[in-house]
Amino acid sequence: MLLFTEYVIRGLFLGAMYGLLALPMSLAFVTVGTIDFAVGAYALLAAAIGATVGGTLGALLGLAGALVASLVMAAVFVLLKRAGHHDTIMIALSSFGLAVAIGSIVLASWGSTAFVRQGLDAVWTVAGIRINPQGPINLAVGLALLAGLTALLFGTGLGRMLRASAVNAQGAELAGIPVVAVQALIFAAGGLLGGIAGLLILYSSGLDFTAGLSLTLSGFAASIVFGVSNPARGFLGGLAIGVAEALSAGYGSGAMTALIPQFVVLLTLGLGMLGAGRYTGYRP
Amino acid sequence: MKQLRNHANSAAALLIAVLFALLLRDPVWIDVAVVIGIQALIALSVGLSFGQAGLLSLAQAPFAAIGAYATGIISVHYGGSPLAGLAGAIMLPALLGYLLARLVIRLEPLAVALATLSLAAIVEVVIRSWDSVTGGYVGLSGISPLAWAASPREYFWLVLLVIVIVIALYENLLASRFGRALNTLRHDRARAMADGVPVVAVSSAAFGLSAAFAGVAGWLYAHYVSYVGPGDLGTHLSISVVLMAVIGGASYVLGPVVGAIVLGVLMRMLPAQELQGLFYGGTLILILLVARDGLLGIAEPWFARALRAIVPQPARVAPEDERRT
Repeated sequence: MLLFTEYVIRGLFLGAMYGLLALPMSLAFVTVGTIDFAVGAYALLAAAIGATVGGTLGALLGLAGALVASLVMAAVFVLLKRAGHHDTIMIALSSFGLAVAIGSIVLASWGSTAFVRQGLDAVWTVAGIRINPQGPINLAVGLALLAGLTALLFGTGLGRMLRASAVNAQGAELAGIPVVAVQALIFAAGGLLGGIAGLLILYSSGLDFTAGLSLTLSGFAASIVFGVSNPARGFLGGLAIGVAEALSAGYGSGAMTALIPQFVVLLTLGLGMLGAGRYTGYRP
Repeated sequence: MKQLRNHANSAAALLIAVLFALLLRDPVWIDVAVVIGIQALIALSVGLSFGQAGLLSLAQAPFAAIGAYATGIISVHYGGSPLAGLAGAIMLPALLGYLLARLVIRLEPLAVALATLSLAAIVEVVIRSWDSVTGGYVGLSGISPLAWAASPREYFWLVLLVIVIVIALYENLLASRFGRALNTLRHDRARAMADGVPVVAVSSAAFGLSAAFAGVAGWLYAHYVSYVGPGDLGTHLSISVVLMAVIGGASYVLGPVVGAIVLGVLMRMLPAQELQGLFYGGTLILILLVARDGLLGIAEPWFARALRAIVPQPARVAPEDERRT
């Protein structure tokens, strides 16, 4: 029982990072109707820069790097829209290209060694379970960002503009909302949130240059498993996937653990739960 | 003449293939050409699924890997003939592709892209961890070579022959009812449904067929190298074949082949292996921004003008009802 509790707690800490990645993915899916495949790559870039420079400065530079990368994606998005491509597949495909390009830049500049940094040496012992304080920090950061994002979406004018663009882009345009600019902002938010997630992963389990796409997949799995309609569900989905992975790693095999996000995606898609709400008039 | 007009692409492919076969003598370039040919075949499969049916697949390389492993396992573990391997290399990816498509095709096309990415990750993990069958990290070696295409030069002919056959089949498919249904549903799913096209069945069949094309490429790969490992037909190849199709023009039958040749030759000139991804990703974004229909999309108007200058077009006869008014 103690072991089980320990796995669950470890899973929650891991899942907080998936939840963090899920936030921009569900935003992009609901408002732009596309997937930014590069979110995991932003996390990778932030972690690579953070690992090299180190400390607070490294974290800030890492975030800046991730933000710049996501601004590239935002610019590509705006250019594609300007050129009259409204096909969301094209946007997804170009973000896939960006993800591959970032992975390659990281490989060429840092090599194939894994990025990992020891943040805190202290170990807390709570009821017989040893916990590295980095875990609770991850969870707290995740919850704080979720709260911030929810407040932004439902409490501010910008949030209202975002939701309006999601419900009816054409109507929002007619009401004077700069829809494309608002949507470009979402790609930038992906860089910021992805970058933060990358830095937290750097100080927890670490990652290497191949992590970009698998992080994107985990984040997307998290964002759809309980329904893509609001960020809190995405975060919860992240926690659930984290716990499932930790339990599988504890009791099962490594190969099984690696497959959990993939099966979640296939199962959710197979049951037809993605995007069904778009046709039944739900309001994000 | 009508036959030629209906099969212009296969005729062009056959002509180019014969030219290549006659001109290429250098063994190094023959090796390069075999590899490019195999990639062109996978790119053709992208052309069918993405260019014609509008389904973006990021799992075409894993489908090829399944084909390669299928024939590899039949050859190494059971001593089966390459022809038995070919049957496995066609059927296994086709079945998997069909089932996957059947599962997710009702959703929007984006969901298909995601599902294929998940499938790619699953295939990779299964290949790496199923030691007793796939050889795990070590891979499968000692796959029997083809007795009737032993030298690289003969193998090159075989690859060219397979490409021409696939192009001819592909072209036939497009001229059929099935092909027209496919093109309709890419542009407008509701319209296709209203026309009585069984959308799910048609798209899934196209997807399965495209996976089978990739499987054939995997079969060619396995018997050429006589080895398959987990890193051989992976994610980087999936992205490069999509890029090839997009560069050449995914909706043109010959587009993926043109893209494969252009990109394959360019890649030989790139200095650092690590920067491959940057080159691929950057080119993909650039081509989506500036030339969405690829090289053939740029060339088509010029080509049509040149053709009109050479071959005089018959004067258009107005339809009967038009004449009456």
